[in-house]
Amino acid sequence: MADSKATQETVTLTIDGQEVTVPKGTTILQAAESMGTRVPHYCYHPGLTAPAQCRLCLVEVQGAPKLQASCVTAAQDGQVVLTESEQATEMRQGVLEFYLANHPLDCPICDQSGECKLQDYVHAEGRKHGRSREPKRVFGRDDFGGDILFYGDRCVMCTRCVRFMEEKAQDPRLTVVERGNRSIIDTFFEDGVEGSPYAGNIVDICPVGALVSKDFLHKARAWDLDHTPSICPNCSQGCNIDLHVRDNRVQRIKPRANLSVNEYWMCDYGRHRYEWMNREDRLEAPAYKVGGEYVITDWSSVLDELAERLDDPRPALAVASPFASTEELGALRRLVDHLGGGRIVYRMPRADEEIPLPGFSDLARRRDLAPNGKGAEILGMERVGDDEGRGGLEDFSGHTGTLIVLGDELADLDQGFGEQASLYMYLGAHPSPAARQADFLLPRCTFAEQEGTFINHQGRVQRFWPGIQATGAAQPAWIALAALQLRLEGGGRGISTAAEAFLQVAEVAPELQGLSYQTIGTRGALVNEPVALPGS
Amino acid sequence: MAATVKVMRRPDPGQTSYIRATLKGMALTFKHMVNPKKVTRQYPEEQPPLSERWRGTHRMEVHADGRPKCVACGLCPTVCPANCIRLVGGEDDQGNRYPIVYEIDEFRCIFCGMCQEVCPVEAIHVGVHFENAEYTRDRFVYDLDRLMEQDHPTTLLWDPSDPRSE
Repeated sequence: MADSKATQETVTLTIDGQEVTVPKGTTILQAAESMGTRVPHYCYHPGLTAPAQCRLCLVEVQGAPKLQASCVTAAQDGQVVLTESEQATEMRQGVLEFYLANHPLDCPICDQSGECKLQDYVHAEGRKHGRSREPKRVFGRDDFGGDILFYGDRCVMCTRCVRFMEEKAQDPRLTVVERGNRSIIDTFFEDGVEGSPYAGNIVDICPVGALVSKDFLHKARAWDLDHTPSICPNCSQGCNIDLHVRDNRVQRIKPRANLSVNEYWMCDYGRHRYEWMNREDRLEAPAYKVGGEYVITDWSSVLDELAERLDDPRPALAVASPFASTEELGALRRLVDHLGGGRIVYRMPRADEEIPLPGFSDLARRRDLAPNGKGAEILGMERVGDDEGRGGLEDFSGHTGTLIVLGDELADLDQGFGEQASLYMYLGAHPSPAARQADFLLPRCTFAEQEGTFINHQGRVQRFWPGIQATGAAQPAWIALAALQLRLEGGGRGISTAAEAFLQVAEVAPELQGLSYQTIGTRGALVNEPVALPGS
Repeated sequence: MAATVKVMRRPDPGQTSYIRATLKGMALTFKHMVNPKKVTRQYPEEQPPLSERWRGTHRMEVHADGRPKCVACGLCPTVCPANCIRLVGGEDDQGNRYPIVYEIDEFRCIFCGMCQEVCPVEAIHVGVHFENAEYTRDRFVYDLDRLMEQDHPTTLLWDPSDPRSE
């Protein structure tokens, strides 16, 4: 990356006959990528230093005596670069043939198949048939500890994993042993990368199937997975992620690059907490109690009934969840305000310590273990309970007015919760013992099933998209709450998209004014006033 | 337009003889009794010849130790145009990738043979076989054990360099 001083000046060079102007200090490879030309590479990774050892990004620079490694050669004024010249393609073909001399070509049983750079490059430019007659070296499989398995035969020795552990995790546990043909990645100690909180990233950056995840082993083929951009819901850092979905189940989580939040990385804590998104014990249809028995019905009937019962408002109390989207929390805020105002509290589990990534100081597994505590705070909600996300609802159990629960599963409460409430409305994704007394049970989508935004610890509003289909009649809570409010107000402007719901939230939260889904985009946008960071 | 009615004149039933027509028909029948060129095949005692490239129900090849040859690479469910293959991969106790679930819905299959063509380990094959009758519909979803038990000959693939198999 060019540093700030170098960005003052620019250089203009010609790549494949096309002129491009880039900041001084940019490498040829980055300059080519900025104009849409991908130069094949293994060892170069935008988040790591480039050792220029894979010899695959060689390009012809006119005037230079031999091919130049484009990942380390700085772009210069007037340079004429040819990435597709005969010399360069011939060299790449030769380099790829050397890679295949020892590669087992076990694509049918390799988890990387379908997203493998060796597969891609050889398919695009490699020789059709190998000429090597010598036996291939065989290393077999090695357990690197934690979630990581190492298939040494498949390795192309790009050393991205070694450099990640050194430069980013700053916990050098991997190294290259032996020399030449026999060189191989190995761990220093028996326990390998066990316990290293960011080790999962080496699986992502491995360009081939040498490092694979035990959790994902043989689970799905890369081409079967649908990728949906989303936000990690496991702490207030708000790492940008992709949900990889197959058969309507989240199969794994991969980080998505966002240089302001998580660069190219994410922690293993977040990476491995996705199974709850696939939970099958769900509320599926809206229901309300008539004479102690639940009547299962449809949304419009349940909302009509609810509007009728809420017509005579009583003091309202609400429990929100910091796992709910800003749109959902905002819709709750607006409803409670309409009912005459009342306390809204949320409970959030809290870890003992932050787990930072030393090589990228903006990224850490934060202490607040929920994605949208900031959103709840901006919307004037009050944090209660202990560090386990429990307790704090003592005033609520005996509440005699309207009681609304949004998203919080109330795992620590018993069946008697809400017994005294004149109206108890439970908006949740999962059934809970503490919802037994609820007069209205409304099924809600999890974040993975709806579009919305989270606000991370920096105050960055970030969008996420629905990756899986909701179960039954479940809806995002903002749809139900906004429709309910429309009935209570007896008309007005209805909303049908998450973007409109966000604009409605901005009406009650000055920090969000001026923001919209367009301005937030895929990279996120900071809330208006720099809000003080929580004391984490 | 007024309908035109054509009135057919038929012989009076009392005055017609069918003997001549009957004899004519019987003559043809008796001619076939002695005709050396038989066209009736005595199926099922006598099986019809099938082409080597006939594509019938599937079979899974097995290793000498009885394991299926399939490595659960997922290419056949990917290539299958009828989407009739269900595959769940896993790892056996020797560390080999193998199909935990491998099911083919033969009702849905269109017998295109692309699964055989795409298989990198020559595990799944379509076969030279056509007798598939069952008493229940669910028997047409062949599971892995069923596919491994099938022992009919496998289909010869079409070779573009030798299109007539000569």
